[in-house]
Amino acid sequence: MPRTIAVDCPGCPPIRAITFDELGLIKVIESRSNTASSSTPKIVDKWGEPDATRCILSASINDRKSHPLLALARKNGHIELINPLNGEIRASTIVEDCLEDPIIGLHLFRKEQEELSSMSCRLLTCTTKGKAALRTVEVSNRPTDSVWDDSPRTWNVCASGDILCSSVDGSENYALFGGKGVELNLWDLEKCTKTWTAKSPPKNNLGIFTPSWFTAATFLSKDDHHKIAAGTNNHQVRLYDISAQRRPVISFDFRESAIKAVSADLDGHTIYVGTGSGDLASVDIRTGKLLGCFLGKCSGSIRSIVRHPELPVIISCGLDRYLRFWNVETRQLLSAVFLKQHLTKVVIDSNFSIEETDRAAVDPPSDDTRVNQNEVEEDDASPPVKRKKSSKEGQQHKKLKFKKKNKKTVEEDDSS
Amino acid sequence: MGGKRKNREEEENNEIVEEEREVSANKKREILPSLIKNKQKRSAVHAKLKHEKKKEKKKKSKAREAAERRALELGEEPPPKPVPRTIENTREADETVCRPDDEELFAGNDADEFSSILKREATPKILITTCRFNSSRGPAFIKELLSVIPNAHYYKRGTYDLKKIVEYASKKEFTSLIVVHTNRREPDSLLIVGLPNGPTAHFKLSKLVLRKDIKNHGNPTTHMPELVLTNFTTRLGHRIGRMIQALFPQDPNFRGRRVVTFHNQRDFIFFRHHRYIFESKESKKEAKGKNTNDGEGETILKGNVTARLQECGPRFTLKLISVQHGTFDTKGGEYEWVHKSEMDTSRRRFFL
Repeated sequence: MPRTIAVDCPGCPPIRAITFDELGLIKVIESRSNTASSSTPKIVDKWGEPDATRCILSASINDRKSHPLLALARKNGHIELINPLNGEIRASTIVEDCLEDPIIGLHLFRKEQEELSSMSCRLLTCTTKGKAALRTVEVSNRPTDSVWDDSPRTWNVCASGDILCSSVDGSENYALFGGKGVELNLWDLEKCTKTWTAKSPPKNNLGIFTPSWFTAATFLSKDDHHKIAAGTNNHQVRLYDISAQRRPVISFDFRESAIKAVSADLDGHTIYVGTGSGDLASVDIRTGKLLGCFLGKCSGSIRSIVRHPELPVIISCGLDRYLRFWNVETRQLLSAVFLKQHLTKVVIDSNFSIEETDRAAVDPPSDDTRVNQNEVEEDDASPPVKRKKSSKEGQQHKKLKFKKKNKKTVEEDDSS
Repeated sequence: MGGKRKNREEEENNEIVEEEREVSANKKREILPSLIKNKQKRSAVHAKLKHEKKKEKKKKSKAREAAERRALELGEEPPPKPVPRTIENTREADETVCRPDDEELFAGNDADEFSSILKREATPKILITTCRFNSSRGPAFIKELLSVIPNAHYYKRGTYDLKKIVEYASKKEFTSLIVVHTNRREPDSLLIVGLPNGPTAHFKLSKLVLRKDIKNHGNPTTHMPELVLTNFTTRLGHRIGRMIQALFPQDPNFRGRRVVTFHNQRDFIFFRHHRYIFESKESKKEAKGKNTNDGEGETILKGNVTARLQECGPRFTLKLISVQHGTFDTKGGEYEWVHKSEMDTSRRRFFL
C-alpha cells in the first residue's frame, strides 16, 4: 500500500468567518457542529461577482447582537455597508480619486452614540496618502435610501509617505496610523488632533539609520490605548508605550521577511505575528519571547489574523488562498479551507452559535435558505430580536417554535 | 523441532489444523537473510530468495500472457491490464487542483497579470539579463535562450541593481524579465519577473545541456514556436503555467514545425525544444512492393504518416523555489508560495 499521510485536522468549534478576496468576492465559512464535537468548516455562501476592480482592500465588522453591519472598502472607491447575515447591501458610496489613493484603513464604530439614532453608524476611513475621514451613515432598508452625510470630517494624517496600517482602540476614541516613511502616530478622534508620535530608533552600531516603514500595528489590549504593538518591513516587532517614551520599549527581530500582520490576544500581552513568507507565531510582548510558531504548511504571505473573542481560536488568511483555523493553546492547525483567490481580509462573526446549526438540522436544507431570507426580511421591520445565545433553553424552545411557525407560513405561501 | 513432534502427535486428530500449523512453523523458521551474520551464507540465502522471487514473477507474467492469448483466440475481451502504481498516480489528494468547470478560476485568469498577453492584446517583449559575473556556459545558454524565445533582448547586467533594471524594463514596456544566475560559471537559477506588476518566480535550474552537446541536434528557425505545457494542474501550477505561457507569442507559426515544451512531472519542469516532421518513409516501401497501381500506393502513403522529432536548443530542468507577489523585492516582498522544508513530509505530495 502506498503510504499516504493523512493530514489530521481535528476540526473547529462552531465558528463563522467572512473572508474577502482580490476579486471582490465575499465568502462565508461556517463550521457547524453539535455541542462539543468539532467539524470541518465549509463555504456556505458566496456574495458578489468576480471582478478585479472590485478588489476588497479593507473590512470591518460590527457584530452586535441586533442589526450587525459589515463595512468594506473596494479598490474602485466603493465603500459598502452590508448585512453580514445575508449579504444584502444596506448602503454604499463612492470616494473620488480612488485609483491613486486607495482606502487602506476602515473601521466601523461599535459604540453607539446617544445623539444619533440607532440606525446610523460611523465609519473611519484612511487612504494611503493619509486622508482620514469620519463619515456617518443613516442606514435604511434599501441602499438607495441610505443617507451619507455630505461633509465628512476629514483631516490629513501625514504630509508625506504612504499609510500602510491603521487601527482603532477598544474605546474607539483613538486611532493609530503608520506606514512607509510615516512614524506611528496616535490621533484623538473626538478633537482630530495628534496626541502622540513615535520616534525612530537610533542609528545602529554601524551608523546605519533605517527609515521607518510600518506594515502592521495594533493596540495591545481593549481597554488601554497606551500600549501599541507594531511590525515593520525589516522584520522587527516593536512595543510602544505612550505613557513611557516615544521610542519602542521592546524591539526584536522575527524571522527574515517583513511582518505583514499583527494581532493582539485578549489577555493583553500575547500577540500573533504573521510574516510575508507565511510564518505565523505567537509572542509574549512583555518579554519579547517567542511562545511558539504555528506550523502547518502555510506557504503564502499572511494578510490578516483574527482572534475569536470567546473561543481559543485564531483565523489567518493570506496569499496562499487558504483560510486556516488554529488553536491558540496547542498551536495546532484545526482546519484549512481552500478559497481559490488571494485573500485580503478575514473577520469573525462572533455571535454565531450552534442554535442556527440546530435549526439547519431540524429543517430540510431546501427550506432552510428560504426560512433564512424570510426571517431576515421580517427582522428588518420588526424590533431587533435576532441571534441570541443558546444559553437559555426556554428561549431556544421559543425560537424553535417561532421558526416552525415561520416554516409553516413559508409552506403556505408556496402552496397558495 | 518440538513443534514438529507435537504436530505428529496431533496428526491423527485433525489434518487441517496440522497443515496450518506446519505452515506457521515454516514461517517462524524462515530467517531473513539480513539476520545471518556469515556473509557467505547470507549471500547464498539472498540469492536463493531472489531467484525464487524471479521465478514466481515469470510464472505470473506467463500466466497473464496465456490468459490474454486465450482470450484473443476465443474472441473474448482480454483481461484488463493492471495499472502499475507510480508515485504520480498515488499522489496525495489535493483540493487545489483546478477543475475545468470552475468559474472562479476563469474569472481569476481574466483578472491576472498575464491576461492581456494571453488574449493577444499585447505582444510579449522579454528582457534577458544575467547576474553580475557571467562567463563560459552562462553566455552560451543565453544565446540559446534568445533563439528559443522570440522578441527577447539581451542586456548586459553591468552593476545595476535588479530593482533598477525592473524599473527600466517596465518603463521600456517589456513584459517579462528573465535573469540567469550562474554559480561557478554554471547557470544554476532562473528568475522570471512579470512586468510591470506581475509575480516573480524563482526557479532552480539544473541538468543544463546546451545545443552543441546534444547529438544530432537541429537548428531552430525564426518561426514562432508552438508551446506545450503539460501537467500544470493545481492553482499554483496553473499560475506558473500562465506565467511561462506569457513569455511566448500567442500566434504560433505552424509552418515552422517548432515546439517548445514545458513538461511538469513531480514538481520538476522539464524544458525541451524540438523540431518535428511528418514523414511517410515506411509506407513508401510498401508502396514500392505493391508496384501494381500507383494510386493505391499513394493513398497508403498518406495514411501512414509518422511524426519524427529532432531536438534542438537547450535542455534543462526547472524546480520552483518561490513565487513572489509583485516584482522582485527580497526584503519586504510578500510571497505567494515559498517552498518550506516542513512541506516535504510525503513523497507523494506535489504542488504544481
